[in-house]
Amino acid sequence: MEMNAKEAELFRDKQIGFFIYLGVEALMFLTLFVTYFIFTPSSEGPHPSEIFDAMTVTLSSIFLLSSSGMLYFSEKALSSDKKKSMLVWLGVTFLFAVIFMVFEISEFSHFVSEGYTTSTSSFLSSYYVLVGLHAAHVLFGCFWMGVLFIQRFLPQFPKTLYYEKFKIFSYYWHFVDLVWIFIILIVYLRYLI
Amino acid sequence: MEISIFGFSISAPSDVIAAWISTVIMGGIITFYVVKTNKFPLIWSYLRTTNHRKIGTLYILFGFLFFSRAGLDALLIRLQLAVPNNEFWLFQFEKYDQLFTTHGTMMIFFAAMPMLLGLMNIVVPLQIGARDLAFPFLNAVGFWLFFAGALIFNFSFFLNSAPGIGWTGYAPLSTSIFTPDVNSDYYVFGVQVSGLGTIFTALNLIVTIIRHRAPGMKWFRMPLFTWATFVTAIMILLAFTVLAIALYLLMFDRMFGTKFFSGPDGDPVYWQHLFWIFGHPEVYILALPAFGIFSDIIPTFSGKRIFGYSAMVFSIVLIGFLSFTVWAHHMLTVGLGPLLNTFFAITTMTIAVPTGIKIFNWLFTLQGGLIRFTVPMLFSLGFIPSFVMGGVTGVMLSVSAADFQFHDSQFVVAHFHYVILASTILGIFAGIYYYYPKMMGLRLDETLGKWHFWLFLIGYHLTFFPMHITGLNGMPRRVFTYDPGDGLTVTNFMSTIGAFLMGAGILFFFWNIFKTHRENEPVSDDPWNGRTLEWTVPSPSPEETFDPMPVVEGMDPLWIVKKEGREMRTTTDHRSTPIARDSILPVLMALSLAALTFCMIYQWFIASAIFAVGLFALFIVRSFTDEKKEHYGKGEAS
Repeated sequence: MEMNAKEAELFRDKQIGFFIYLGVEALMFLTLFVTYFIFTPSSEGPHPSEIFDAMTVTLSSIFLLSSSGMLYFSEKALSSDKKKSMLVWLGVTFLFAVIFMVFEISEFSHFVSEGYTTSTSSFLSSYYVLVGLHAAHVLFGCFWMGVLFIQRFLPQFPKTLYYEKFKIFSYYWHFVDLVWIFIILIVYLRYLI
Repeated sequence: MEISIFGFSISAPSDVIAAWISTVIMGGIITFYVVKTNKFPLIWSYLRTTNHRKIGTLYILFGFLFFSRAGLDALLIRLQLAVPNNEFWLFQFEKYDQLFTTHGTMMIFFAAMPMLLGLMNIVVPLQIGARDLAFPFLNAVGFWLFFAGALIFNFSFFLNSAPGIGWTGYAPLSTSIFTPDVNSDYYVFGVQVSGLGTIFTALNLIVTIIRHRAPGMKWFRMPLFTWATFVTAIMILLAFTVLAIALYLLMFDRMFGTKFFSGPDGDPVYWQHLFWIFGHPEVYILALPAFGIFSDIIPTFSGKRIFGYSAMVFSIVLIGFLSFTVWAHHMLTVGLGPLLNTFFAITTMTIAVPTGIKIFNWLFTLQGGLIRFTVPMLFSLGFIPSFVMGGVTGVMLSVSAADFQFHDSQFVVAHFHYVILASTILGIFAGIYYYYPKMMGLRLDETLGKWHFWLFLIGYHLTFFPMHITGLNGMPRRVFTYDPGDGLTVTNFMSTIGAFLMGAGILFFFWNIFKTHRENEPVSDDPWNGRTLEWTVPSPSPEETFDPMPVVEGMDPLWIVKKEGREMRTTTDHRSTPIARDSILPVLMALSLAALTFCMIYQWFIASAIFAVGLFALFIVRSFTDEKKEHYGKGEAS
């Protein structure tokens, strides 16, 4: 995608601004990771190893993490101006994100049905606010993808602006995936092996 | 007090009723004035503006409104404490708690922060030769989020639900076990929403300073206010983010029964850590921009360049860094153990070193200068000795063994008012007097300004100097009365007189603004014989600045060309201007968020979900109507 000098300059502004914003997000998650680390496991309620299910975590991780790859293919197709394949890969990314959300919601509702709510213990409190905030990010990303999907069909929408918006979304999405990797490592893995 | 309207009887305390009545009267007067002089086009243009000067002006306007309100609270506090066993109006017990909570929270979040952000907004682009902030739309969003947060917080008082947990919101008092009513929720949401706006504005300022400097404006040619803004903005990103999460956790504790700050494993001290990891850097977030303002004013009115420029920059950066290593000095009596207490005591004392460097550099700038005693200069000169006194008591407090005596006493109150008033508030006034020509195209009256300065400065010392003694004589902070036999009467009464002197100073400031605008005498581009780029643009600064773009040839670029008696060199080869278009969306977004949080406070989840949908719809509208659409996709031609 060829941007002219002015567009490239303004895009760079936005890129730097968005990276700083992702830094803010990273610090938010870091604080929540520290919170989780401090309060887990708790003296009351279930131990994390009793309730985490390796199968759910593995399946949801497969879908979310591979969605980053799908988005990468979509971005490649966008760069070489292949509209159809770009839309298909974006659709697959969206689908994988939705499947992840289904796993996430089923995990949460399973916990709640067994009586493990936000108020059960400090461990579950910090689990819900951390993993829940991440899930909210995925959900927000789903809507964002919907907007990008529609904008691709608008004839007056400048291609370079679309490219800019797409790139910014891709940074967001890869970041959300990166946070999930840390969630696997810090939240789940210690209590699954 | 009981009032009955149309058969409904409402019971409300008389101070709330007084606030309602005076607000309605004031609102009526303002509405009448607006209608009579037909100011609607002006209001409409400010509602939609994305211009940095206009947004900065709005920040200062509303910041000053909340400053006045919080100042009124301070006067009420002083009236209650004027004499022993006093029962002034109804400000005892819980009402007194609400009074000092509102005073503190408003002063920090809704007065000092917005007025500083306003000055940054107005001045920084002009100082570095940027035509606007990097993201004009986001700038408007940032302002209106502050406004929304302030609206939510202020509303609590009008509904007789003002929070009473201190501006620090310490757990466990702030959890739903001890304050189950909505009062504390107003604190949580009000601060959260405005903090979000602050983060966005800080991000915007950083990108502007990194990317939008004029040709030749190298890092070490930037004016010190810009440097201070840059470091402050980075600190805001770190500190306010931690605060956002602290409030997020407290919100979950209060509304969804989580157990972070209470319960068998929950820990109230964890709140203290999170709060002060924000709170201590916040003190420097308030002070550093003020340092920057003084560092630009003192050279201008001494007719000399700043002494030790690079040491000034270095000390700003060092203070910024150290401020993140000292938070537990607010918690020396919590019981962290001698090792941690010693560590935090030492880091705290270290901060005195870079601060001392700055003090001496200001003094050396004055030395041998041709000093002009204008009002901005008076505020700067008043700042130096006053701030040093606050710094000295700060070092006293950092001695952790001695802090067991000082902690939570009026001595602490005296200390932090000494530092914050001297730096932030005197800095803001200096900045407003200095930059009023750039904001409004007018210069504030010097004589009235001097009345303002002297009354305020004398009042300030009369209020807070005796307060040290009150504290050392054993009066704790946050209590509403004392006994005649406690030996606290004289110093307390002196403080009350001082507070009213400060209030009188502010009245002179009001009169000054009124007089200046009534006389309406336009001022030149460079009324102070300035040294930096902001004095090359017209007063007030227009929406299109720096056309043609100046070339910066060194530190104090305007002074260089003045000395050499020539015009400033210009160029057409510069980076592209940020794209801006007036938009009503920022206001609508902020109001939707305010409505959403208001419903959250009362736990009307369905209503808040509806407003959330509205907010997301506005995001989508924004994405589809992006102002860049008209400028992109033109190929190489544009």
